[in-house]
Amino acid sequence: MTALLEVEDLHVWFDLQDGGELHAVQGVSVGVEPGERLGLVGESGCGKTTTVLALMGLLPPSASASGRVLLEGKDVLAGGEASMRPHRWTDVAIIFQGAMNALNPVQTIGSQIVEAIELHGRARRTAARVQTGELLESVGIPAARADRFPHELSGGMRQRAAIAMALSCHPKVLIADEPTTALDVMVQAQILELLDSLCRDFGLALILVTHDLPVVAQLCDHGAVMYAGEIVERGLVDTLYHAPRHPYTRLLFAATPDLGQEAEEIVSIPGAPPRLDRPLVGCPFRPRCDSAFGPCATARPLLRSVSDVQSAACHLNDLHSGAPG
Amino acid sequence: MSVVLRDPDAAADLTAPAPSRGGLLWQTIRRRPSAAIGTTVLLLVTGAAVLAPWIAPYGLHDQVGPPFGPPSAQHPLGLDDGGIDMVTLLMWGARISLVVGFAATLVSIAIGGTIGMLAGYFGGKADVILMRITDYFLVIPDVPLMIVVAAIWGPSLFHIVIVIGILLWTSTARVIRAQVKSVRERVYVKRARSLGAGHARIVFRHVLPQVAPLLIANTVLTIAVAIFDETALSFLGLGDPSRISLGKVIENAFQRAAISSGAWWAIVPPGVIVALVILSCSLIGGALEDALNPRLRVAHVSARTFRLRPLVGRSEASL
Amino acid sequence: MRGADYVIKRTLFALVTVFAAITMNFALFRLAPGDAVSNLSRVPHATPETRLAIKKQFGLDKSKGEQYALYLRQLVHGNLGVSFANSQPVSSNLRTAIVNSIPMVLLGTVFAIIVGTLTGVMAAWRRGTPLETVSVTTALGFYSMPTHWLGLMLVILFAGILPTGGMTNEFLIDPSWWTHFKDVVTHMALPSLTLGLVLYGEYTLIVRSAMLETLGEDYILTARAKGLRPWTIVRRHALRNALLPIATLVALSLGYIVAGAILIETVFSWPGIGRAVYDAVLARDYPMLQGAFLILTVSVVFFNLVADLVYFKLDPRITQ
Repeated sequence: MTALLEVEDLHVWFDLQDGGELHAVQGVSVGVEPGERLGLVGESGCGKTTTVLALMGLLPPSASASGRVLLEGKDVLAGGEASMRPHRWTDVAIIFQGAMNALNPVQTIGSQIVEAIELHGRARRTAARVQTGELLESVGIPAARADRFPHELSGGMRQRAAIAMALSCHPKVLIADEPTTALDVMVQAQILELLDSLCRDFGLALILVTHDLPVVAQLCDHGAVMYAGEIVERGLVDTLYHAPRHPYTRLLFAATPDLGQEAEEIVSIPGAPPRLDRPLVGCPFRPRCDSAFGPCATARPLLRSVSDVQSAACHLNDLHSGAPG
Repeated sequence: MSVVLRDPDAAADLTAPAPSRGGLLWQTIRRRPSAAIGTTVLLLVTGAAVLAPWIAPYGLHDQVGPPFGPPSAQHPLGLDDGGIDMVTLLMWGARISLVVGFAATLVSIAIGGTIGMLAGYFGGKADVILMRITDYFLVIPDVPLMIVVAAIWGPSLFHIVIVIGILLWTSTARVIRAQVKSVRERVYVKRARSLGAGHARIVFRHVLPQVAPLLIANTVLTIAVAIFDETALSFLGLGDPSRISLGKVIENAFQRAAISSGAWWAIVPPGVIVALVILSCSLIGGALEDALNPRLRVAHVSARTFRLRPLVGRSEASL
Repeated sequence: MRGADYVIKRTLFALVTVFAAITMNFALFRLAPGDAVSNLSRVPHATPETRLAIKKQFGLDKSKGEQYALYLRQLVHGNLGVSFANSQPVSSNLRTAIVNSIPMVLLGTVFAIIVGTLTGVMAAWRRGTPLETVSVTTALGFYSMPTHWLGLMLVILFAGILPTGGMTNEFLIDPSWWTHFKDVVTHMALPSLTLGLVLYGEYTLIVRSAMLETLGEDYILTARAKGLRPWTIVRRHALRNALLPIATLVALSLGYIVAGAILIETVFSWPGIGRAVYDAVLARDYPMLQGAFLILTVSVVFFNLVADLVYFKLDPRITQ
């Protein structure tokens, strides 16, 4: 089965001011099928945003990358920026965090959507404006608001506008990077609702980046947990919750007494993620792990399948008999 | 509410921040070539100026040749309109220029720093009033006012220093005020307050160290402007007639028709030295400012793009 | 109306500042110790009757408070006193001087803004390349040069090729309009070039900084994600947003232009307002000094207000 969008062994490095390098993404391989919903979770700084930016080639000049990004089987990373640009918005689109200044403050939201439509040759002028109006209506914004500036809209409305803009060229994959993090709880629910229905109606694949686990449970079928620049566990969301095979996943999900209900208190895992500007020895999670043992200090665990719907990178899985190697 | 993964940055606020001032200055010089070059040049010029009485090749008032004598082996930069060796003149001139520059900056920093500190720390009405005053001063064109005051008061080194200092404090005030405001919000200052520490103690113990690095950067940049202003005033005939500054050297050459005599050596070198000093101060001050307020965001777009590397490949089990 | 408050506020501030400047002007000159400055009737070669008339006109025999009121009233009528140097009204002297200054200063400023913007954008666009370092260093270099010294350098370089003094060739008798125009322009070349070179450096740094700041904004990333080409993003999204801080900073630099004009006009003997200030200082012509200073201050306030209004026009986010 050809995945719609697939990443193979992605590495991203950032040049540091002092001359060193930050190895932000360390060999990530992940993919989505058409219509599939993938939740990418992890702490801030774990590399999940960098990974999805790399999917669209949106890395800064201080970055270097290696690996393959396969869009319908074709490697689009190989030609760098030039080979990635043609696929932006028409194949893969992205929306960012709600608090971000993601819309140009001195242009009306309508004109920004029209710009996307006209850029990719979908329509021109009046036709583009009509399409913009329809798009806005479909996300719950009255078409007349197209002439408003971003600061005249509430956070939730701005996010809806961003979604409308993202869908304007009928992409196959929608990436949502922390779309509801900065929004009120009520508005969060609405936006998630919207994403859910839009993805369903248009058959979009969704890659949802977040640190908010109930959101993943609500919206996604598959999940991938990232830590220190790599994926430490991957599988169906249900499986990750009920039968995690990596201590980090277990600690994450165990903190929530019941998915869908509010947690009574904020639980956190003590310690901090490792620095990524130096080579890592052994398992990156070992300092914070409650089940570390022998091999963890010296050998870095590889991501291995533990069932046909789950993979994890943990030495513990090698101890359990019956786990497919 | 949801499970919040611990943000490792959250711990930072509770520790006493700020690297040591001296450390930051030294670090910046070491790391940034612009600051290193600037510091070197500045030290060279200052050194030559300070040591002038001992290392100047000739006497400041000794006529050693004809007016506007051309450069030669004994006089690499020629002679001025009075037959005095240019190199000697430049060294002594640099002394006065630097003294005026530093002194005027001192005045300006004292005024601006105090006003900025008061406005930022106390906020409220004091802040509003002080900032209004600052805004008014900002709008007044510097050089014309200096000219007017110098013309009325009469030229003397002291007057010049005061006049320059009185006009340059505005930028310092603004910068310090902004910094003090942001420092005030820090957790530990509030804590010190609740423990009953007096204002003076808080200001000197907690606020000042945080503000000092930025103050230094601003000071260096102010020196550059002060030296420029002194040059301008001297050129317009308002400098102290009894002292030779670099600005005066240029003015003398201009007045005595150095150009039509073809004596470029009387005009070019003093300006070069002034320009170098100003440039050095700008480089150092700019580098410090950059180091203190690093641009956290990276430009998303530029002529260069991200680079590709060959595949890394790690032995991976079946997926 | 959205933002009307802002316009009113800024205009009010400008008016108050002008008033403060006028008062300070009065205090500076009339209240200064010594008769030399405050005695406006010391016009040389004036008959005792003229002196008396002037004394009456400016109320020099009245109290300071009354003098102040009189001063204000005369300002409203455009009466700035009589020059010591040529016994002409200060206001007409200044008018001629200003008219002479404007083309030269305008040419130099436009040059500086254009060159500064181009180099600033280029430096930001080619960030991290040697081109950026070179442009920034050159800009800083010119910016560090004392204005009058740079003028003198240009005189040395171009003496014989371009005129280096005055605004016109006095030996041209009854020139045609075209000859006169060419004459003025060639005389304007060096002074304007000096002003342009000294100013452009600051603009390069401002524009580069504003561009880099803008290019780091999130909506730039969005624009790139939409598939826009990098140069289109710079042109259509970044420049427009960077204009805001640029406009403000350009206005704030106007005070510097005034200072530069004084020095340049002195070097090139250009009969403008800067030169008028210099001549007034030399001759201790206090009425002229006072008038010139007032005009300069008011014009800076005015341009700052213009900048505020331009900013308001450009930024839809200003509410209040």
